[in-house]
Amino acid sequence: MTAHLTRGAHPRPGRRPVTALIGRHPVGLALIAPYAAFLVLVFAYPFGFAVWMSFHDYFFAAPGAQVERPFVGLENYRTVLGDPGVRKAFGNILVFLLINVPLTAVLSLTLAVALNQAIRGRTFLRVAYYVPYVTASVAVVGVWLFLFSSDGLVNTVLGPLAPDPSWLVNETLAMPLIAVFVAWKQLGFFILLYLAALQNVPKELYESAAVDGASAWQRFRSVTVPAVRPATTLVVIVATITGANLFTEPYLLTGGGGPNGASTSPVLLMYQRGIEQGNPDVAAAIGVLLVVGVVSVSMINRRLLERS
Amino acid sequence: MSTRTLGAAGTAPTVTPTPVARRPGTLGRVLRAAALIAFSLAFLFPFYYMFIGSLQAEPDTSPAGAFPTDGLTLDNYREINTEINLLRSLVNSGIFTGGVILGTVVFGLLAGYALAQLSFRGRGALFSLVLLVQVVPFQLLLIPLYVLIVRGYGLADSYLGMILPFAINTTAVFIFRQFFLQLPADLFAAARVDGASELRILWSVALPLVRPALLTVVLLTFIGPWNEFLWPFLITKQTDMQPLAVSLANYLSNVAARAANPYGAVLAGACVLAAPAVALFVAFQKHFTSNNIGSGVKG
Amino acid sequence: MRRTVPAAFLALSLGLTAACGGGDSGAKADSSTKGPITIWLSNNKEELAWGNAMVEAWNGQHADQKITAQEIPAGKSSEEVIGAAITAGNAPCLIFNTAPAAVPQFQKQGGLVALDDFDGAKGYLEQRTGSAAEQYRSPDGKYYQMPWKANPVMIVYNKAVMQKAGVDPENPPLSTYAEFLDTSRKIKSSGAAQAAIYPSPASQFFQSWFDFYPLFIAETGGKQLVEDGKAQFSSAEGQRVADFWKTLYAEGLVPKEQYNGDAFGEGKSAMAIVGPWAIPVYGDKIKWGLKPIPTSAGKPAAEIKTFSDAKNVAMYSSCQNRGTAWEVLKFATSQEQDGALLKATGQMPLRANLTATYPDFFTEKPAYRDFADQAGRTVEVSNVPNSITIWQTFRDAYSESVIFGKRSVADAFGDAAKKVDGLAGQR
Repeated sequence: MTAHLTRGAHPRPGRRPVTALIGRHPVGLALIAPYAAFLVLVFAYPFGFAVWMSFHDYFFAAPGAQVERPFVGLENYRTVLGDPGVRKAFGNILVFLLINVPLTAVLSLTLAVALNQAIRGRTFLRVAYYVPYVTASVAVVGVWLFLFSSDGLVNTVLGPLAPDPSWLVNETLAMPLIAVFVAWKQLGFFILLYLAALQNVPKELYESAAVDGASAWQRFRSVTVPAVRPATTLVVIVATITGANLFTEPYLLTGGGGPNGASTSPVLLMYQRGIEQGNPDVAAAIGVLLVVGVVSVSMINRRLLERS
Repeated sequence: MSTRTLGAAGTAPTVTPTPVARRPGTLGRVLRAAALIAFSLAFLFPFYYMFIGSLQAEPDTSPAGAFPTDGLTLDNYREINTEINLLRSLVNSGIFTGGVILGTVVFGLLAGYALAQLSFRGRGALFSLVLLVQVVPFQLLLIPLYVLIVRGYGLADSYLGMILPFAINTTAVFIFRQFFLQLPADLFAAARVDGASELRILWSVALPLVRPALLTVVLLTFIGPWNEFLWPFLITKQTDMQPLAVSLANYLSNVAARAANPYGAVLAGACVLAAPAVALFVAFQKHFTSNNIGSGVKG
Repeated sequence: MRRTVPAAFLALSLGLTAACGGGDSGAKADSSTKGPITIWLSNNKEELAWGNAMVEAWNGQHADQKITAQEIPAGKSSEEVIGAAITAGNAPCLIFNTAPAAVPQFQKQGGLVALDDFDGAKGYLEQRTGSAAEQYRSPDGKYYQMPWKANPVMIVYNKAVMQKAGVDPENPPLSTYAEFLDTSRKIKSSGAAQAAIYPSPASQFFQSWFDFYPLFIAETGGKQLVEDGKAQFSSAEGQRVADFWKTLYAEGLVPKEQYNGDAFGEGKSAMAIVGPWAIPVYGDKIKWGLKPIPTSAGKPAAEIKTFSDAKNVAMYSSCQNRGTAWEVLKFATSQEQDGALLKATGQMPLRANLTATYPDFFTEKPAYRDFADQAGRTVEVSNVPNSITIWQTFRDAYSESVIFGKRSVADAFGDAAKKVDGLAGQR
């Protein structure tokens, strides 16, 4: 893996033995030290603890309380994998990701390219796309209910074409709708990422492409898309990760993962089992499975997208 | 990576030349503008709806309610102003968010640069770790983290305790890493040949070139702590240390059943919370201008 | 990743040392120690006003044992805040916002102090609350919570909507299921309101407290969801209550979609299941009337029991000055302070003979009398292990069979009952 990652940044020259041992720029270790220290001080304990918990019969107790926490091996994982509710939640999140991630990547790149051009009212437009991202979820959820409830604006416009049962209480449509909702809410974030990336695309590339008579579409495909590929990797990975952590929307928008569990996400289950019901061991097992899944998906994405 | 970007330029001439105008025609531009505006309205509508709802004396959730003709009032805002010490909450929010941004930018910049442009042993493992931090759901860490911060470090009722878990936003590391990856390595190689130290290269060569990334990081990480409710509430029960999001949430849970228009109160609260974020964005976005690093490559 | 894992475990051991190095609270606290204490109050405005006045009254007389009051959220997040504080050992002495449903879990965590440790505590508590105190006792026979105040739920209806639907607004027929359904159909078909009644269809564990549970309590004459370690809801009575709600949902008299706002307050629904908190909320806006919870055969109002929706006071094991805490607990639940609480919040102190104790208040505010009367006949959530998990299991089964009609009630409740029996049996 290390070899692969190293290849990511540099064309590799022939290595000498010393550099093979510590790398060509050992000073990098110094630069990254503050971050590593943070990881050790703040992150490692809770995370390591969560992993440890998932192999024990564990619950949180007051300091000084005498409680038994026997090692149970894979028992929590067996509980989790044997629970149809958990399997359903993982299926739900997969549906979510399959819709949300491509939609996010395509829309945000397209809109960022359009917004990057010198057009009148650019400030206004950029603010417009950014606004849903900064707005608190409680308020945005209210708006979405206004649009997609049974007698909401969307169904009024659709008239007889409105789905029955309506969007948010329809087991087939609830999760896709949440995927679209999240794409819409987060789009401002990803547009910003692309906008910043577009600033670094050398103008000469466009100029030479234009000299060759390439159409706008061809310039987009052969100049823009390859030039912002690192940003695309970032967008896809970040969208996958935030998507996999989906919690607020099913909690607020579909009233705790409704209808009938159709929009339950793994993190929502973790919240229910771990924090509400006091079974952090089971929640930790769900969490570990989720982390393993997301890391693998991200690594695959990265491998695919950063391949030259 | 840099070679890849330049490689893209190399492939450009192979594009089949088609006789198309170099600039979009008037019609094209009008269409594009129309599409952008239509899209932006879809994005602005919720904000508009939130704002209008916050001004309504009586809630009206019917489609017609989005376009009221009368019955608008500032009462919902007036009530917030009397119930909440806005200045104090804003200062607390400022300290909390400011601390988080500072940590995020400094640590993120160093780590992002190292991960992108320097090759050293353990880089792959560190990248995986960075990824891991982002992947782990906060709900999983919540209670162990709380125990660590409060019992292990004794940081209950302090700003530092509030800031610490957020002080590094992994997204920021990713953003910096990706932007440094986009910069041509030749640039840094040249500086190294001149004998500049890595910190110096980072400060005077790399940093000016990733200004858009810097702004992006500020704008994107700002909103996390700004809207965060549960963590500050866990850390401090002292009302005079609580940031705006917490004060508003408290206000809303009180007012929810009581106000003439509870939903309006919620929306007004959301507007108050969103306003500084939008203002910040408006102020910053004009700096998203091109660096034109192409000339840097040539030179 | 291969290198990440050992690194994380190395860090884990460091972190553990750090985490364990912090103090040893919980040691050597005894039931007579006096000194300053901290308490948490719900941040609800009226309760806060009462709480601060109570604290001031106490502090005026006890310069060496002062109370510091802090606020926690009134809503759902309060259990999260308390749970985290127990684990970290920085919970206060008393929390005046302890949900009975959360007590079994806090107790299991070792977070609570049994009040029986204090001299005369059991007698004080049972005398104050009367026979209703029994249901707040934990399975080990001890009291880990002081029953404090209830919000007994009843049916509130909108008189104007009833009139529009052609139903007698002064006495709408709502006591049997048949009457209730009939009235609901009239409301819907006349277009007087979009919904007859609008309980939240959401899936959170506590939602059943405001739809199924009050009717179940009324129908069974006061059974809890779980009794003697056995689920009770799959009985014939439980089935009747479920069928009643299922009919309401199936006929579209009750919406399946959640509403972001106050459906009753905005005239979207003709009725609601509410506690006394509703009086100041709807006081002037709506002309409303109260009815007891319906039963299939229409029991007389004086026999109908309902859900108490109580919030209690508990003492937390991180408390050092427990002697003072116990004195404060008695002070805060004295006849005088209970009267002040009633006056400030309209919530019903869990006290025997409520109406006789505060005759002036109920003469002055007759609207509260129905609730006070009902407060004498309330049933709490079961004090059993895995309480929240049980409620979530039930809610999921209810949601599947009653709200969305995906399965028969008998099947869904039967399966859930088996699971609940197992959960309630765990220690």
